Amino acid sequence: MLFRLEHLSHCYSDGTLALNDVTLDFAKGERIALLGTNGSGKTTLLHHLNGILKPTSGRVYFEDEPLKYDSKSLLDLRRKVGFVFQDPNDQLFAPTVKQDVAFGPLNLGQPVEQVKRVADEALRTVGMAEYAEKPPHFLSLGQKKRVALAGVLAMQPQVLIMDEPTSNLDPRATSEILHLLLRLNKEYKITLILATHDVDMVPLFAKKLYILSKGKLVSEGSPEELFANAELIRSVSLRSPRIAHLFEVLKKEDNLPINPRFPLTISEARKEILRLLGYRNENEEKETSNR
Amino acid sequence: MSHVKLSAEIDRYAYTNALSKSSPTTKLFLALSLLLLSVMSPSPIVPISIFLTSTVLLLSFAKIPCRFYLRLLWYPIIIVAVTCVIIAFFFGYQEPFTEVNLLGLKWTVFKDGITLGFTTFFRVLGALSSQFFLVLTTPMTSIILILRKARVPKVLIETSLLIYRYIFVFSEVMETMHIAQDLRLGYSGWLKKLRSMSMLIGNLFIRTLEQGERTFTAMNARGYDGNIRVLEDQPKPSKTALAAITLFTVALAIAAYLTMNIRIV
Repeated sequence: MLFRLEHLSHCYSDGTLALNDVTLDFAKGERIALLGTNGSGKTTLLHHLNGILKPTSGRVYFEDEPLKYDSKSLLDLRRKVGFVFQDPNDQLFAPTVKQDVAFGPLNLGQPVEQVKRVADEALRTVGMAEYAEKPPHFLSLGQKKRVALAGVLAMQPQVLIMDEPTSNLDPRATSEILHLLLRLNKEYKITLILATHDVDMVPLFAKKLYILSKGKLVSEGSPEELFANAELIRSVSLRSPRIAHLFEVLKKEDNLPINPRFPLTISEARKEILRLLGYRNENEEKETSNR
Repeated sequence: MSHVKLSAEIDRYAYTNALSKSSPTTKLFLALSLLLLSVMSPSPIVPISIFLTSTVLLLSFAKIPCRFYLRLLWYPIIIVAVTCVIIAFFFGYQEPFTEVNLLGLKWTVFKDGITLGFTTFFRVLGALSSQFFLVLTTPMTSIILILRKARVPKVLIETSLLIYRYIFVFSEVMETMHIAQDLRLGYSGWLKKLRSMSMLIGNLFIRTLEQGERTFTAMNARGYDGNIRVLEDQPKPSKTALAAITLFTVALAIAAYLTMNIRIV
């Protein structure tokens, strides 16, 4: 297992119990989403994965070794586990984009020539190469998020943790970030772990979903499994994706014979509608498989 | 908050002007030599030529819009002009030039006073324009990196790096808070203004503390160990350019020496 959390609890100094006895496993190469409302403990959990926070009780294992918190072990961990913060202004501290991206690799002690190459490559990957010499305050929020991502990618991590990667972004920037993440997972085999409350985004991204509520792990499974359980989703003050909701209404109110695993994305919805309409000729099949 | 906008605009030009890619060392060297010559020159001729040089460099080489340059120069010019008139009136003791009646008193204006006022005006103008040349063509980042090479203590370098970045973050925060207060009538009246202002400052202070904490966490997550390592990636100064500037400086210094005893009236 890549990560294993054992009876993890975290209590902040003001007495808030942010995580309450969470036990879970994250597998390598997976695309994982932590879903929960604001204050459900997502960020606190993520902060344990690269040693920003120490558990109050319980244990964190990375590659079957318990985390150690001395500076050398932490540096080693952080080389492998990159963390992209929710507010890029927290992360972008350097006066130019390239300086910021170079910060991580320089801390890893890489030679300057290599750092330049890695930084340029990371900026190209996120599509921000032309902004290399610009200061961050010239950029839009979406661009800042991509630069923050580049700053972490430049350290060539095996695991990428992102806290609300699409919050406050416009639709286009959101889909750009999502596609970028999917590409990173596919091409570079980076394990992705992200926290979000954007239920419409989750099915597009995640293979594995964990639902947190009030610091507890409520449920885990594939998005299809979890969103099929509308009771559960509502009990943690979330909602189903709009598309699933539509099919739920069609099933309940209009008694259409809909598969109890509601479609969550547009392509799934398309298939289900075509099935309901009895519309399955050869051409359609081909077109679907092409996409 | 026009001063915030003006400095943000200067910053923007520093990154976008036509000379932004040329070596910052060269630009800094030129600007500093011109500054020194300008303030030390005993005659107005050299500062005038420095003013013209910087202006030509800014307008036709760096392609800074003339309007913006004039907007920058305008206020200092007024202040300096007033000061220099006062100098012309009150300084000087040789050869009376003319007498004026002011506030029922007779004032004698001396010839050397006028020369001094005139020279001072252009010295300031020369110094100002050479510094505008620096700030409008050279990004802050590059200046900080040069200071680093010049072995300025690390504490100063690292804090200026962070300050430069977060000035823009916090001026945005401040502007947003100011608008939010203003919309709820926080600035309608002298006393309310005072109270809103103090709350804004107090809040801003807390925000900076929180930001510091969060930035520190984020830096740690990327392996920060107490040293901010910076990528040296600057265009190298060309030897020809440096030599040309040196020659130009020497020529101006000689001109200053030769025109030392010039009189305006």
